[in-house]
Amino acid sequence: MAGAERIDQQNSGFLAKVSVSSQLAECYKIGTRGSLKEWGRSANVTRGRKKSRPNNTNPTLNEVYMKKTLAILAAASLLAGANADEIVIKGSDTLGAKMVPQLAEAYKEAGNDESFEIAAEGSSSAFTNLLAGTADIGMSSRNIKDSETEEFTAKGMAIKDWTAAYDMIGVIVNEKSGVEGLTTEQIEGIFTGDITDWSEVGGDAGPISVYTRNTSSGTYKSFQEMAMNKRDYGADTQKMAGNEQIAEEVAKNANGIGYVGLAYTDKDGIKAIAVNDIELKPENAKDYPIARSLHYYTIEGKLSDAAAKFLAWATTDEKAMEVVERVGFIPAK
Amino acid sequence: MSDTNKQKSGGKKSKVAESFRKKGFQIFGLGAQDFIRFFFGGNASLAIIILILICVFLAREGIMFFPDHHKGLKSYRLAGQELVDYVGEEIDAHTSLYSAANVAYYAEVNRTSQEEDTILRAYRSVLANVENMTKKTWGRLEAWQEEKEDLEDELEDLLEDKEKLTEAAAAPAAAANDANADQAADTNESEDSAAKLAEVNKEIAAVEARMKELDAEIELLSEKLKKEVNVAIASDEAWDLGVGADQPPADSIDEIKEAVLFEAHPDADEEHAFIVEVKERSKEKKAKAAEELTGFKDTVKGIQAAVRPIRSYHSDLKKIAVENKREIEKFSTAPERRKALLEGAENTEDPEDKQEMLDRANAVDITEPEYDKINAPIYERVPEHEKLAADLKAETEKLYAALPEVSELETKSARESFGRAEVYNERFQNRVEENTEKVKEWRHDKNLSIFESATAFIFGKNWITNSSWHDFYGLLPLLSGSLLISIIALVVAVPFAVAAAVYVNQVAPYGEQNFVKPAIEFIEAIPSVVLGFFGILVFGETLRNVSQVEWLSWVPGFPMAERLTILNAGLLLAFMAIPTIFTLAEDALNNVPGALTENSLAMGASKLQTVFRVIVPTALSGIIAAVLLGFGRIVGETMVVLLVAGNKIKIPDFTEGLGVVAQPAHTMTGIIAQELGEVDEGSLHWRALFIVGMVLFCISLAVNFTAQKVLKKFQKI
Repeated sequence: MAGAERIDQQNSGFLAKVSVSSQLAECYKIGTRGSLKEWGRSANVTRGRKKSRPNNTNPTLNEVYMKKTLAILAAASLLAGANADEIVIKGSDTLGAKMVPQLAEAYKEAGNDESFEIAAEGSSSAFTNLLAGTADIGMSSRNIKDSETEEFTAKGMAIKDWTAAYDMIGVIVNEKSGVEGLTTEQIEGIFTGDITDWSEVGGDAGPISVYTRNTSSGTYKSFQEMAMNKRDYGADTQKMAGNEQIAEEVAKNANGIGYVGLAYTDKDGIKAIAVNDIELKPENAKDYPIARSLHYYTIEGKLSDAAAKFLAWATTDEKAMEVVERVGFIPAK
Repeated sequence: MSDTNKQKSGGKKSKVAESFRKKGFQIFGLGAQDFIRFFFGGNASLAIIILILICVFLAREGIMFFPDHHKGLKSYRLAGQELVDYVGEEIDAHTSLYSAANVAYYAEVNRTSQEEDTILRAYRSVLANVENMTKKTWGRLEAWQEEKEDLEDELEDLLEDKEKLTEAAAAPAAAANDANADQAADTNESEDSAAKLAEVNKEIAAVEARMKELDAEIELLSEKLKKEVNVAIASDEAWDLGVGADQPPADSIDEIKEAVLFEAHPDADEEHAFIVEVKERSKEKKAKAAEELTGFKDTVKGIQAAVRPIRSYHSDLKKIAVENKREIEKFSTAPERRKALLEGAENTEDPEDKQEMLDRANAVDITEPEYDKINAPIYERVPEHEKLAADLKAETEKLYAALPEVSELETKSARESFGRAEVYNERFQNRVEENTEKVKEWRHDKNLSIFESATAFIFGKNWITNSSWHDFYGLLPLLSGSLLISIIALVVAVPFAVAAAVYVNQVAPYGEQNFVKPAIEFIEAIPSVVLGFFGILVFGETLRNVSQVEWLSWVPGFPMAERLTILNAGLLLAFMAIPTIFTLAEDALNNVPGALTENSLAMGASKLQTVFRVIVPTALSGIIAAVLLGFGRIVGETMVVLLVAGNKIKIPDFTEGLGVVAQPAHTMTGIIAQELGEVDEGSLHWRALFIVGMVLFCISLAVNFTAQKVLKKFQKI
C-alpha cells in the first residue's frame, strides 16, 4: 500500500514537472511570437499570453508549433533543468568553425547561462535545419536563394536576415612561390582551367594545382560569383572539405593555389596574394574585389528570447565585435 | 438452459485439458515449439524484408532521376544553352592551344635568367624555412616591439599631460606672486596640480623604466634571434628547397645566406642589395630574351587575339540563353510557387497578409514561354558563327604555322609544351569543323529521347553541380576513378594476401600461425577514417618525398606533384582489403581435404610441390571468390577515398600510361558522402546521387554473384 502511494507521488511529481515546464514552454513560445519585430525598440519583451496581443498574426501556426515544440521543450527542460536555454545554431563552416563558437564563449563569460549547440556543415544546411525546426539560428556565408525563400513561404514562415560580419576571401599560394599578386582575370583563368602553368602569370614554371571548397560550401559559390565571372570551376580543380584542408595542401605544394577565409590566411606555409594590387588587409575591405557579407538567418516570430538576445548581442556589442575581429572577420557595425 | 451451459463449458474444459495433456500449451492450434520456430524464422525473414525495402527505396528514389534528368537536358536544349556550349567548346579548345604555346614562350624567355631565378627561388625557400624555424623567438620579439610602440604612445600622452600641468601650476603661482588675493583657493589648486604633476612624473618614470627594460629585452632577443638564424641557416633543414627545385650555383650560396641573415628580422623591410641586384639582372635578361623572341611573342599574342571576336559572340549568346533559362525555370517552378503562396495564405489569419499573398499567387505567370520566340535572337545570330569559326580556324592555322619549329626551341619544357600544342591544335581544328556543323543543324525543339539522356548520364564526361550555368551529371569520371583505385588496390593486395594465406595455412608452424592470423585480421579493426588521416598526413607526404628521389624517376608518374592521389588511395585500400582476402583465401585452403595432401606426399612429392600443384589449384575457386569479395569491399569504401584520393572530378588522363596513378581522382562513394548532405531532398542532384548509389549497389551485387558462381562452378571437390 505504502509502496503504491509512493509510486503515485512520484508520478504526480513527474506530471507536475511536465505541466510546469510545458506551461513555461507555452508562455515562452507565445510570448516571443510577433514580439521580435519590436525587439529593437524595447529590450524588455514581456512574456504575455496570446490573447493580450491583438496584433499577433499567426495563431494557427502558433498552435502547430506549440504542439511540436511543447513536447520537445518539456522533455528538454526535464533533462536539463528549467533554467538553461539551449540555442541551436547550424550552417556555414566559415562562421561555425571559429567565430560563432568564440562568440558563444564570450557571451557566456559576459554573464549569460545559455548553452549552445553549434554545427557547421555548409551554408545550405542552415536553411534545411531552419525549415525542419532543428535550429534556432542559421549561419550562412551566402545570401538565401529564391528557391529556399519559397520553401519557407510554403510553410507560412518568413525569414529574417542579420548581417553577422564581413569576410574577405584570401587567394593563397605557397610561401615559397614567387607570385605576389594576381589580377581577377588571371584568377578567373586559373580557377576555370584556362591558365595551367605558373609561368603564364609571372611565376616560376610549374603546373598549377588548384584547390577549392566542395559544392556544399557557401564560399565555393561566393568565390565563383566574385572572382570567376560565374563561370564553372575547371575539371582539374580538387575539391577539399574545408578551409583548413586547403591551407594544408597549399602549404605542402609549391605549385598550389587555393582560397580561404581571412582568418585562415596566417597559417604556416602559405601567403595571401594581392588581388588587383590590393592587399588582403581588413582596412582594404571596401576595395578588395573578393569580399562578402556573412549572415545569420532566423524565422520571423519563431525565435526564442534567448536566441534573440544572443543575436542582438552578437551583432552590436563591443565585446562581440572584438571577438569577430580576433577571428579575422570585419565587424558588421 | 443452465444445464446445457454447464455441459458445454464442462465439455470445453475437458477438451482443453485433454489437449494440454497431449500437446502442451497451445494457441490457435500452435504449440510453444512452433512459436520458437516462428520467432527465429521471423527474424531471418525480417532481415530479408529490410533488404528488399532498401532496394525498393533506392530504386524508387533513384529511378525518378531519369525523367527528371531528361527534363533538365531538354530545358538545356530549349533555352539554347546547348548551342552556346558548342561555341564554348571551340573557345576552350582554342584556349588550351594558346596556353600551351604561351607556356612554351615563357619557358624560352625564362631560360636565359634561369640562374637568377634559381637563386631567387632558393632565397625565398631558405628565408621561409629559417623564419619557420625561428618562429618562436620571432613572435616574442614582435610582441615586445608592439608593447614598446604602445608604451611610446603612452609616454607621449603623459608628456603632454605633464606640459599642461606644469603650465597650470606655473600660472597660479605667477598670479599669486602678483596679487595676494584668494590665497587659500589658489594654494589648494596649486597643491592639487602639484600632486597631479608628481603623479604624472611618477608614471612617466615608470613607463620610461619599463621602456628601458623592454629595450634591453628587445636587444637580447634580437641577439638571440640572430644567433638562432645563424644556427638555422647552417642546418640542412633550412636548405630543403622543396619539391623538384634546383640547387642554386655554389658561388651564390654565401650571398644567399647573407641576404637571409639580413632579411630574417622583423625590423627588416627593404630587401638585401644582393637580392635586388639579382632581381634586376633577371628582369634585364628576360627583357633581352623577349626582344630576341619578339616574333614568337607576337605569334602567341596573335593566337590569343584571334579568339576575341568569337568570344564576344559567345558571351552575347550566353546572355540570351541565360535569360531563356530563367524564363523556362520560372515556368517550371510557377505551379509550385503558386501553391506555396496559396498555402501560405491559408496559414495566415491576418487579412491583409492573406490578401497580399493571394494577389501574389494570382499574379504568378503560369503560361508556357514561347520557345520559338525566346530562341529567335539566337537563331538570328547563328549564321554569323560559320564565318567567325572559319576565320578563327584560318587565323589559328596561319599563326600556328608561324610558330617557331620545335628544333629551334632550346628548353626541354618548351619542346614538351609544343608537343602538347600540336595535339591541342589538331583537337581544335577537329572541334571547329565538328561544331560548325552542329551549330548549323541545331534546333531548340529537336526531340530528345530518353535513351539519349540516359546515355548522357552513363557516358557523360562532366559532373558539374551547383553551377550558375547548367548542372551536368556524367557518371564516367566517378566510375573510372572508383574502378582505377580498386584495381590498383587489388593488384597490390592480392599477391600479399594470397601468399600470406598459403604461408599461414601450409607452411607456418603452429605458434606462428596463431600469431600471424589474428595480427592480419586485426587490420580490419582499424577505423577507415583513421587510415584516411594517416594517408593524408604521413603516407601521402612520404610517398611524394620518395617520388622526388632522382634514381626513382624512371617509375611512371614519379616525381609526383600531389600527395592526395589515386596511388595513395589505392595503396591504403589494398591495406584494407588484405584481411578480407586473406581470411577467405585461408578458409578456402583449409577446406582442401587432408587426404589430398597425404596422397600427394605419399606419392613422393615435396611439400612445395604439394602446395603449388595440389592444394592451391584445388582451392583456386575459393581464392578467386575471396579476391572478388575483396574487390566488393574496396569499391564500396568511402572514408579513405574521400580523404585521400584528391577529389578531382575528371576522367584520369590515360595518355600518361601507368603514370596515371599519380593523378588525383574522385569516386562514386566519395561524391555521395561529399554532396548528399547539401542537396535538397527530391531535387535532381539528390536523385543523381541516389543513382550513383544504385550503380555502386549493382557493382557489389554483380561481384558477389560472380563470386558465388565461381565458387560453385569451379569447385573441384
